[in-house]
Amino acid sequence: MSEEKQVKVHVDKVNKSYGDNHVLRDISLDVMDNEVVVMIGPSGSGKSTFLRMLNQLEKPNSGLIEVDGYDISDPKTNINKVRENIGMVFQNFNLFNNYTVLENITLAPVQLGKMTKEEAEKKAMELLDTVGLPDKANVSVNSLSGGQKQRIAIARALAMDPDIMLFDEPTSALDPEVVGDVLDVMKHLAKLGMTMIIVTHEMGFAKQVADRVVFFESGKIQESGTPEQIFTAPKNARLQSFLSKVMQA
Amino acid sequence: MVIKRLKPIWAALAVLIALLAVGTKADAAKPNYVISTDATYAPFDFQDKNNQYVGIDMDILKEVAKRNNFTYTLKPMSFNAAAQMVANGQADGIIAGMMINDSRKEVYDVSDPYYQSGVAWITKPNSSIKSLNDLKGKKVALKTGTAAAAYGASLKDQYGFDIKYFNDTDTMYNDVVNGNTDATFEDYPVIQYAIKNGVKLQVRNADNLGKAGGVGFFVKKGQNAQLLDQFNKSLEEMKKDGTYNKIIDKYLNSSQKNFVGNASDNKTTLGILKSNSHAFMSGLWQTAELSVAGIVLASLFGLILGVMGIAQSKLIRGISTTIIYIFRGLPLMVLAFFIYIGLPGVLGMKIPAFTAGILTLILNEGAYTGAFVRGGFEAVDAGQMEAARSLGLTHRQATWKVIVPQGLKITVPSFVNQFIITLKDTSILSAIGILELTQTGTLIVARNSQGFRVWAIIAVIYLIVITLLSWFSNWLKKKIA
Repeated sequence: MSEEKQVKVHVDKVNKSYGDNHVLRDISLDVMDNEVVVMIGPSGSGKSTFLRMLNQLEKPNSGLIEVDGYDISDPKTNINKVRENIGMVFQNFNLFNNYTVLENITLAPVQLGKMTKEEAEKKAMELLDTVGLPDKANVSVNSLSGGQKQRIAIARALAMDPDIMLFDEPTSALDPEVVGDVLDVMKHLAKLGMTMIIVTHEMGFAKQVADRVVFFESGKIQESGTPEQIFTAPKNARLQSFLSKVMQA
Repeated sequence: MVIKRLKPIWAALAVLIALLAVGTKADAAKPNYVISTDATYAPFDFQDKNNQYVGIDMDILKEVAKRNNFTYTLKPMSFNAAAQMVANGQADGIIAGMMINDSRKEVYDVSDPYYQSGVAWITKPNSSIKSLNDLKGKKVALKTGTAAAAYGASLKDQYGFDIKYFNDTDTMYNDVVNGNTDATFEDYPVIQYAIKNGVKLQVRNADNLGKAGGVGFFVKKGQNAQLLDQFNKSLEEMKKDGTYNKIIDKYLNSSQKNFVGNASDNKTTLGILKSNSHAFMSGLWQTAELSVAGIVLASLFGLILGVMGIAQSKLIRGISTTIIYIFRGLPLMVLAFFIYIGLPGVLGMKIPAFTAGILTLILNEGAYTGAFVRGGFEAVDAGQMEAARSLGLTHRQATWKVIVPQGLKITVPSFVNQFIITLKDTSILSAIGILELTQTGTLIVARNSQGFRVWAIIAVIYLIVITLLSWFSNWLKKKIA
């Protein structure tokens, strides 16, 4: 069965440093089609930097990164084309403040010639339904709560019909009572078979949704495995120490 | 969305460019010369009560043109700029009560002298300074570039005074009247005219004028020999047939009223306003044209510089930074002189004063605008660009669709501020002879010597216009925000 599955993301021996600060050391990771990979680890462990490399918001110093079969570490690759198929959701939402909710969602598909304005708006309304905010189409993004903003941000990313979704701590900036709304949308996406790579501190969510959990520490992948393996039988000493701290809280 | 709103501005821009392109067409049959002159040098050159340029120089020039069947385009401005225009080939000749001396002969060819002037030295009537010896340690006001100034400067060491230079005659007189400087040197007919006009100064050496030599008509060395020849011949004829004496008489021995108008028109604010309403209006109109064109074009230029300032390419960012650095660093007046007087000599083409003025405003105000626009773009959260790029938008699409609209919104208050600064800065363009509001004031004061009242009127007009501009800007601010 796994042989039929396609490799969506292939990372081989990637290194990244800022000056003397070696943030990522020889990271290698493959993500399969329809797989949900959750990356955990303490702050500064390099997991967000790694995620941002997958759509070239950060560039590696060395190593190979292939997404959807495109070598994005090759400067000749048209990164804009590759990005059209990679949705990204940010910790701080980053909704476009100069547009309404609907315009936020339709901007990219229309600008990039993927859809007409009418098609994009129809699609946007469907997506607003999916994320549970059908009545917010024409409001300004500044009037939304954090949880609503993040669901709109997910809808905006989905409007481009991506086949990979990257989530960079999508619930870290949210009030606790709305975290569930956002996680529900993400669970729904996972059920639909979206390939997802998620950086999060929500261990419960990781247990429930992840196909694989990857533990980052000191710029390295220290351990990876199924949620059962990681959460019930961690082998790496640093992972054990990390889990003991986060599970207490 | 903001871009769409800018459409009327593009239309206005097209109209402006069309206006700038319209030059003055000369009568093809007759030769047409560009003659520069000092705008404020009565009785040689000044504007009369009807805002016509008159004076000894103007009448002689008119007569020479008539007798030799040529036409001319007059360019009245500050004396230095007027002389520079000829030296650079921007104008064919200058007639401006200009003294003949050896250093000028190196740069210009000069006519026979058409007036023998003497230099007077002048103080306040009740001054304790009675002789040149009393000037020791005092301050003396001189007008740059005049023979009287050269004469005055030549006495500096002998009598031990300090010199303060001015660009126009009336400011210089007022400096002495107000007691900032103690004395001045000036051509006798010029100070005579001013005293008749009510300037409270007194000539100390009427019987013993300094020898300054003759006043002549100048052309660029080696050029316009025919024009010079015609001038000399006609001058000779005019002296013989009495025309010359009539002209001199008209300006030196007749009533001031002929040029200045009735006392009631000059001694009250209302009278000045009424008798010069046409001049004020046309000055205001010119200021408005400069301001609108300057504001619109400088804003566009600034927007371009701002967008270049956040470009991906290091080279383009560097170009933007360099342009801003240069044109923000240059004083507006230096830039105006450079474009109007310096550049044509190098390029070998004439630049009309209005065009030079607009160009100056675009470069200087545009550089300031570019700096704060770039700052506004940089103030937009970096996450906005990342989000746009993560969707597959190009850097350019992300810039124009996401960063520019948000950045411009941040800069609206700075734009409003810059509009007002631009309007005020148009006054500096009076230096290159553009007849805007400030230059209009200079000309009226040159004629009637009513500095306080005229400048008060000009100040109030500026305040009114700036108030209107502020209202408009606030309306615009509300509309965009």
